[in-house]
This record gives sequence, C-alpha cells and structure tokens, in this order.
Amino acid sequence: MTADSQALPVPHTEEDAHEGHPAQGVNTALLGMLLFIGSEVMFFAGLFGAYFNTRATALGLGQPWPPQGLDTVIEPGIVPIAATIILILSSGTMQWGLWRIRKGDRTGMNRALALTLIMGITFLLLQAYDYLSLVSDHGFGINSGIYGSLFFTMTGFHGAHVFGGVVGISVILLRGLNGQFSAKHHIAVEAVSAYWHFVDIVWIGLFTTLYFLK
Amino acid sequence: MPLVGVRSLVRKPDTERSERPGRAGRLARAFALFALVALTTLLVACSGAKLPTGNEPGSEPAPGITPVAPVSTSGEATLNLYVITFVIAIIVFFLVEGLLLFISFRFRRRKGDDKLPTQTHGNNVLEILWTIVPALVVTGLFVLVVGTLNQEQAISANPAVTIDVTGFQWQWTFEYPDQGLKYTGAGRNGPVMALPVNETVHIRLHSADVIHSFYVPQFLYKLDVIPGRTNEFDVVVQQVGTFAGQCAEFCGIGHADMHFTVQAMSPPDFQTWVAQQQAQESAAPAQPSGAPGAQTVQVSSVSATSGFNPNALTITANQPWTVQLTNADPSVPHNFSIHKANADGSDWLAPVNADGGGSAVYNPPPLAPGDYQFFCSIHPNMVGTLHVQ
Amino acid sequence: MATTALAPRAAVGYGRRSWLYQWLTTTDHKKIGAMYITTAFGFFLLGGIFALIIRSELALPGIQFVDPETYNQLFTIHGTTMIFLFVMPMMTGLANYIVPLQIGAADMAFPRINALSFWMIPLGGMILFSGYLLGGAADAGWTGYAPLSEQSGTGVDLWIASLTLLGMSSVLGSINFLATIFKMRAPGMTLLRMPIFVWNTLVTSVLLLFSVPVLTAGLMMLFIDRNYGGGFFDPALGGNPILWQNVFWFFGHPEVYVLILPAFGIVTEILPVFSRKPLFGYKAFVFATSAIGALGFTVWAHHMFTTGAVYLPYFSFFTFLISVPTGIKFFNWLGTMWGGKLRFDTPLLYSLGFISLFLIGGLDGAFLAVVPFDFHVQDTYWVVSHLHYVLVAGSVFGIFAGLFYWFPKMTGRALNERLGKIQFWVLFVGTNLAFFPMHLLGLDGMVRRIVDYAPNPGWTELNFTSTIGAFTIAVSILPFLWNVFITLRSPRTASDDPWDGNTLEWATTSPPPPYNFDTLPAIRSERPLFDLKHGTAAAHAVALPALAGTTDDETRADAPDKPAEDTK
Repeated sequence: MTADSQALPVPHTEEDAHEGHPAQGVNTALLGMLLFIGSEVMFFAGLFGAYFNTRATALGLGQPWPPQGLDTVIEPGIVPIAATIILILSSGTMQWGLWRIRKGDRTGMNRALALTLIMGITFLLLQAYDYLSLVSDHGFGINSGIYGSLFFTMTGFHGAHVFGGVVGISVILLRGLNGQFSAKHHIAVEAVSAYWHFVDIVWIGLFTTLYFLK
Repeated sequence: MPLVGVRSLVRKPDTERSERPGRAGRLARAFALFALVALTTLLVACSGAKLPTGNEPGSEPAPGITPVAPVSTSGEATLNLYVITFVIAIIVFFLVEGLLLFISFRFRRRKGDDKLPTQTHGNNVLEILWTIVPALVVTGLFVLVVGTLNQEQAISANPAVTIDVTGFQWQWTFEYPDQGLKYTGAGRNGPVMALPVNETVHIRLHSADVIHSFYVPQFLYKLDVIPGRTNEFDVVVQQVGTFAGQCAEFCGIGHADMHFTVQAMSPPDFQTWVAQQQAQESAAPAQPSGAPGAQTVQVSSVSATSGFNPNALTITANQPWTVQLTNADPSVPHNFSIHKANADGSDWLAPVNADGGGSAVYNPPPLAPGDYQFFCSIHPNMVGTLHVQ
Repeated sequence: MATTALAPRAAVGYGRRSWLYQWLTTTDHKKIGAMYITTAFGFFLLGGIFALIIRSELALPGIQFVDPETYNQLFTIHGTTMIFLFVMPMMTGLANYIVPLQIGAADMAFPRINALSFWMIPLGGMILFSGYLLGGAADAGWTGYAPLSEQSGTGVDLWIASLTLLGMSSVLGSINFLATIFKMRAPGMTLLRMPIFVWNTLVTSVLLLFSVPVLTAGLMMLFIDRNYGGGFFDPALGGNPILWQNVFWFFGHPEVYVLILPAFGIVTEILPVFSRKPLFGYKAFVFATSAIGALGFTVWAHHMFTTGAVYLPYFSFFTFLISVPTGIKFFNWLGTMWGGKLRFDTPLLYSLGFISLFLIGGLDGAFLAVVPFDFHVQDTYWVVSHLHYVLVAGSVFGIFAGLFYWFPKMTGRALNERLGKIQFWVLFVGTNLAFFPMHLLGLDGMVRRIVDYAPNPGWTELNFTSTIGAFTIAVSILPFLWNVFITLRSPRTASDDPWDGNTLEWATTSPPPPYNFDTLPAIRSERPLFDLKHGTAAAHAVALPALAGTTDDETRADAPDKPAEDTK
C-alpha cells in the first residue's frame, strides 16, 4: 500500500463541532438557525402565495379586491402603525444588544434584550387590541370570507412567530443575566437575533401587503 | 474518430478472450427466468392490443397498448401524439434494457478474476451527447404538443349545440339551454347526453359541491368540474354510437357510481330526439294528484350524507298514499324512491326530483304489509325504513 | 475481501443504564438510524396490508369486502402511510446512519434534534391511525383535495395534525443533514469528493426544507376552513379550490423527488463497488441531481393539467426537461458498469432491477408531459401505474438494495444471499404483474379511486392479474423477514469491508464504535478507501490508445512519480 494513512483529527468535541474556527465559515448552530429561518420563509411564502393568487384570481374575474364592503376594514391606523414602528425599533435594540455582547459588554446586552423583550410584548398586545377592535367594531373575523381568513391567518401566524421570538429572547435574557455569555461564546444571541430580524422583515412584508397594497 | 474509441471499448482485452464461460450457471438460469417473465408480461400486454379501427357497434374494444379508439377529432389528434411518443419511448426502452442485459452478460466477473478493470472516470463527448440528444428529442416532442394543444383548446364562436353540465354528489344534470331541456340522471347509469355528430358541441361544466371531472374515455379527453369556476370545451364527435362517461375526480363515497352516457347521432336524429324530449317535458304532469283524504307522509331530505328526516315512516297497508318531500338541501336534488315496491319486486323509482331547496309530491303504489327501504335514487346511500302495517 | 489497516478500539460500554433507557434516550445517529429503519419497515408492512385489502376488493367487479367509505379510507391511509411513514423515514434512517460515516464525522450536527425528529414519526403515525378509533380515518385521498376534504369527518383533522408533525420532523431532519454535510466533513473531503449518496441527501434536504413549509401553510388553511369557518377553498366564501391544488402540489412535486433521490443515491453507491470501477461522470451526477432538485420546483402544475386553470405550455416544457438530467443518470449508470467486472450479489441485483423498472415509471411520466394525452389518462390507472413503478420499482428496490448493502455495516452480519436472490426475483415478478396491467386499464379509461368498476372487456382479467401481483409482492417480503430473523441471530462475522467498498463507512468496524472512527484514511478523491487499498495510481486508467474527447487525467496512465491528481 503506497497511499498514506494518517490518523487525522476527527472533530468530536463540542467545541470543534459547534464553535468552529472563525476561518471555517458560519458557526454550525447559527447555520442551523439560518436554515430554520429559510424554512419559515417558505411557510410565509405559502401564505403570501395564497394571498396573491386569490387577489389575482378575483381581479382577473373583474371582482373587487378587497371584496365588496371590506375595502375600508383594514386601514393603517394608529394602532397598526405604532405596532410596526415598535417592532422595527425592537430589531434595532436587538442588534444593538448583539453588538454589545460581541464586545463583551454583558450589561449592555442585557439592557438591550430587556428593552427588546418589552417591545416585542407590546407589539403582541397592540396586535391583540387590533384584532379585538376588528372583531367587535367591524364584525370582521377569520370567518369573514376569504379576505378575513387570509388576513387573520397571515397576521395570526406572524403573531405566533413573534411569540416564539419573545420566548427566545426571554431565554437568552435569563441566561445573560446569569452571566452565561461572553464575547467569544454567545451563539444563542446571534441565533435569536437572526430570528428576530426575520420576524420583523416578515411583518414589513405583511404590513405593506395587507394594509397598503391590499 | 469517436468510432475508433467506442470500438476499442468493446473489444475484449486479450487476457479474457481465451476464457470460455463455464457451464450455464445461475446467471443464465436467472436470465432465462427474466426473459420468461418479460415475455409473459409482454404477451399479457399485447393480448388485447388492437390497432385503432373504430367502434364496432354494440361492442367495446378490449384494453391494449394503445388508448381506446377515439371518436372525436381532438381524440384523433391525441392518439397521433401518443403513437409518436410511444415509438420514442419504445426505442429508449429497448435501447436501455438491451444495454443493461448486454452489460450484465458481457461484463460479469468471471470466477477468480480479481484484477481491477480499467478505471475510466468518464467521457466528455459521450456525456455531452447524451445530454443534448435527449434535450432535442423532448423539445421536438414539446413543439408537437403545443401544436396539438392549440388545435384542441380552440373554442368555436358558433357551436351547433351548447350543453350545460352540472356535476354534484353523485349524479349529473344535463341542460340544453337553447332547446329548453333539463334532466338529471337516476341511479348508477346516470343520464344520457344526446349530441349530433360532425358538428361542434360546446359543453360548459358547473359543480354544485366538490370537484368532479367530466371524462369520456372515447373522447380521450376530460375536464374538471370545479365549484366557483366554469370550465368549457368544444367537441366534434365523428362517429354515431354510445360512449361511456364517468366522473374522474374523487368526490366521496359515490364516486364509483357517478356515470353517464353520451349518445352521438346524426343531426336529423338529434333534432328528432330534441323534439321528443320537449314533448315529454310539456306533457309531464306538474304535480301528481292524490285521492283526497289519502294518507300523507311528510319527509325531508337533509343531505346526501345525512339522509332523510325522519328516517322511519309508517303507513297503512293496501291504501293509496302520498309522499310530500321537502328538500332541505340547498343545492342538490333528491327524490323519494322505494326498494322492491313494485308488483314485480323491482324498485319504485321517483318519476321527478325535488330541486335543491324545493319540494315534490309522490304517489307510490299501495304496498303490502312489511318493511321496505326508501331511498334517494340519485344518492343510493340515503336510506330510511318504511313500515307498512 | 480487502480489510483495512485501521483498527478502532473496542466499543465503549454504556454503563449501568438499561437497554430500553439507552434506546429511548439515545442521540447516536446510528441507533436513531436503526430506529427510523425499523419503524419505517413496520409501517411498510401495515401500508402493504392496506394495499392487499384494496387489491382484494378490486380483483373482481362488484363490491365484495368493503363499503365505499371504508375503501376511501383504505386508499387514503395506504398512500399517506407509504409516503410519510415508510419511504421518507426509511430514507432518512439510511441517511442518518450512513451520511456521518461517509463524510468521516462522529455524529450529526444536532444529535438531540435528530432524536426529536425520529420520535415525531411514531407519534405522527399514531395520530394518523387514531382516526380508526375516533369515528373514521381520513378519507379524502392522500392529496386531500378541497372542497371534498372540507366535508370529511375528524379523520381529516387527524390527517392534518399528523402531516404537520411529520413535516416538522422532515424539516428538522433537513436542517440537521445540511448543517452536518456543510460543517462536519473530515479534512480533505471537499464537496466534490463527497459520495453521491451524500450529495443526494443534500439535495433532498434542500427540497424538503423549502417544500414542506408550503404544505404546512396549506394544511393550516385547510384546518381553518374546516374548523373556524375559513373561506380559503370554499367558493361560496370567495375562496378557490384550485388554490389548494397549487399549494399542495408546490410541495407535492418536490416531494416525489424527495422519495426517489435517495434511492438514486443508493444505486449510485452500489454500482461502482460492484463493478469495481469508479463512477462514470461524477460531476455529471452532481449536476444532474442538482438540476432535478431545482427543476422539481418548477413543474408542480402538471398534476393539474385537467383543471383548466394552468398555463399548459410552460409546465409541459419543464416536465419534459426534467427527463434530461434523469436520462443523464441512466446513461452514467450504464457507463459505470460498462467495462467493469460485475458481481451479482443482491445489492447489485436490486440496483439492476431498479434501473430496468424505474425506466418504465420514468417513461410513463414523460408520456404525461404530453398534455393532450394527460387529458385522457389523468386520474386513471395509467397514473397509478406510473406512481407505483417509480415508488415500488424505484424507491422500494433502492431501499432493499441499500438494506442489503449496508446491513453488514450496521449489524456486523451479512444477510443471506440465497434468500435475498429469491426475494428479488419474486418481488421483480410481483411488481410487474401488479403494476403493468394498470397501464392498459388506464389507456382504456378506468378511473382511479373507485371501489368498483364496470365489467368491461378485459378489465376483470387485468385487475385480477394486478391483484395476483400484489399478493406476490407480499409473498416476497416473507423471505426477507426470515432472512433478517436468522441473520440477526447468527454471530457477528462481517468484516469492516465485506464488499470491497470505496467510501469511508467501510473504513471502520462493522458495526462502528459509538464515535465512528479512530483514524481516517487520507481523503484525496471520492473513493478514499479505494485509494487506500489500491493506491491512488491504480485509481486512474491504464494506457489506452488516444480516445477522442476524453480528458488526460482519465485515461492516460500517471507517470509513476507524478503526484496523484485529485480532479474528477
């Protein structure tokens, strides 16, 4: 046998497998989160696809969209706009927290995460308020034809994803308060931050589509 | 140049030429078995094969390796496309299977031969060739497809007859708006659609509930029947005859029983048929009258899945009686029929249907004592019990 | 067969925990893979029994055994089980076991998520079948077309829940495979040196990652329609039944490539080993697999040609186009075997059976791209024939090829060859008897999903033949079950490398230790073990007269002192 047979280091420690070396590309756990976000993008793509397909079909048949009598129900009023601004700002605070921990500033990160968490919860509360007013003031619910079904399903699943993000932020905030993160070891913060930005971008898409484009 | 290369790949290296394969061995037996199976399968397949010669009246062609013989113009075009595709497919099939068999024999490992064969990693020319040639073949086929499609999908501005087809669970209604005809099928065989040959017939499809599909195998064509959407197509039938049709989109428990028939006749015969149908409709009594004071039962048809309400009725034997059927189902016709209620033991089938949201009155014959089953002949799963005492 | 010079330490014990606890809590990809495989096989038998009941009913015209509602549940559950509870978990199980080994890793990137992905399978299966205890199983077909699926009872809600859970399992599994493949390959293993089975797992994972969530979106919409008065698919509320079909098939078409690509991968592993030659056109395989994956997302509406709501030329063209990369694979498989020295052990037999019969299924599909012909045979037994040729002659043959090939690695014992060959031939005959007659029935206009058919000329004979074929397939499973039983009871005599393999899984013991490898050979090509055994010089062809079109490093002998090339 002329070929060399080396005892090569097989990565088998947690360090090697999950932290990696900076030169070797994105961290494995973060890659996992990015792939997960990719799949969630496709989930919303399915919903957006349903929306645009339904809209195009209606318009193609010469029918109004939004359907008769429902064109003024979804308006970019003060509540949705406030919610949008808060969510966008929360992406900012989240990112700021990430920058802080990359520099090793645990306190800064904790403050940023706490702020982000409050803003996330506020968003959910504003959404709940919006839902209630739509149902009680306009009689507009998930069973108000295809338009109602689309609106509540799309924003509803988005809200569920925001809730998931809120849970994630709570976890890393608790861990952060416990001192578990450092400049070199904070991959969970990277991951949650990526997820939170994704949730925000989806909302921008939803807001534009449902409240403005219609 | 390439030929040189290919030939040298096929030529046996010297060391192997002197070896003779030993006794037949398991491989040869295996091949014999495979050949037997393949041959048998092919025979089974070809046993019914017939070149399309058209329908013989009264008989249906047995299944073969070509589609059922088409009776419409677009069906003919489809058949031509099929034959072309089939020829290409058969060539590819025999080429690949032949190569596979050849390789299995020619390049099997001889006993005791552990020397590594030539370690070829690839051949760019071949690989490019067998990418480009199939791409060209499928593109050519695609061009043919588009041509045929454009022919098939054309809608005439002046059809001779327009027929509105409504499919619902699990029956068909045919309506000829211009001739003022409308009727629904009953039982497993469904309604008959009469149409003239050699003239453009325009068919519009409507669904009252779920997705069905209007399929006449001898048209080599089907089109889905979709609620909220009106699909339409033209057909020109070229042959007089009776052609079977069936729902081809799974639509629930009665899907297997949702049949209809197309009867193609010469245009004069078609006109005669239309006149007869119109006469029948105007002659049919709107409401059969029952004897005054006759016993009357009232029953409501709820839906194909929920049945009747009530689903048990009691009447007195040997007395005339009347059924008032209220159809609570908003969009689907139902009726009131009785199994084995005729004197000869056959089913008494309702002469008229109650439209969706409508009603109908029936005068079934007086019945001998016993238990009978009443049902909706459109939806035979809708049953109830009739006690006659 | 050649053994390697590598000798890992004896397997480390697990300590005092009970056998059951170990298996229930394991995160070892090999154990998880074994559980996937075993569970999937159990569902295969269950789904197979459903098939036998269906075929028993269809053997003769008239209704003999089951009423229409039961029949509708039977084919719905049969299809759903075979796809989501058999083929997908089986492929995932084989990939779970083999991929880390083939890339020289110690485990998957996320072992705990791996375990979670597995346990969702039996749970999803239980939810699906619980319909039988709760008033009726799903009965709207595995495709669940609306509005019919909105009429059905609780069974469809359970179907939705089951598929949502199984879908999540697939997505998590895909994330795991992609992270593992991208991040945990041993040094020296570039992407273009990975085994093709790993490549196919990669592309399959990408397909699942992007298609399953769309199915989930559709399932959520259907659930809302059924339970919360939603109007997605109900025209009375402004909805559109076609929307369901678009959403479903956007998932459904990549899904069928998910079902077959791993089988392609398995066959592509086996052929070089049993021909004793390298893969013919490795890069072409990578290209073809990627092309099939990408094109898989562009053709979904070819399942909807008869709806009248589809732009026909576009979808017809891309459907035709997909046959080109598939054809490349076929020719490259033939090229791999050409000039080789074939050993007709059971893995090779199954691979040959796969090639010879998947061809039929593939050609059937090409016919369906001919749109006017699709108008005739859509929703008829032609489609049933096509789908069963690609799934049984394709996926199932591929699965058995993989099981026979990797059984010695996984258990330390090789399955009995004689029983394997008997099983193969009976399965081969049964597959053709069961599914070939369906072509003719479809051409003659027999529609699908019907409990009963008219006694048209020839229909009874063809249906009866098909039923005989189905039972023949069932019979063929018996020698396999016996084979597994007696083999598992025999001593562990398999060597590290019983087949004289090329790839890294054969460079460790059979079965491997928990941490997989003590040492790894140098990785300089897609056949690291071959290089180790035969030297990299032997990996290239001996001198032949100049062949037009071939590249230098394929056919010219390396000068003895030239360093080994690692292109191709």
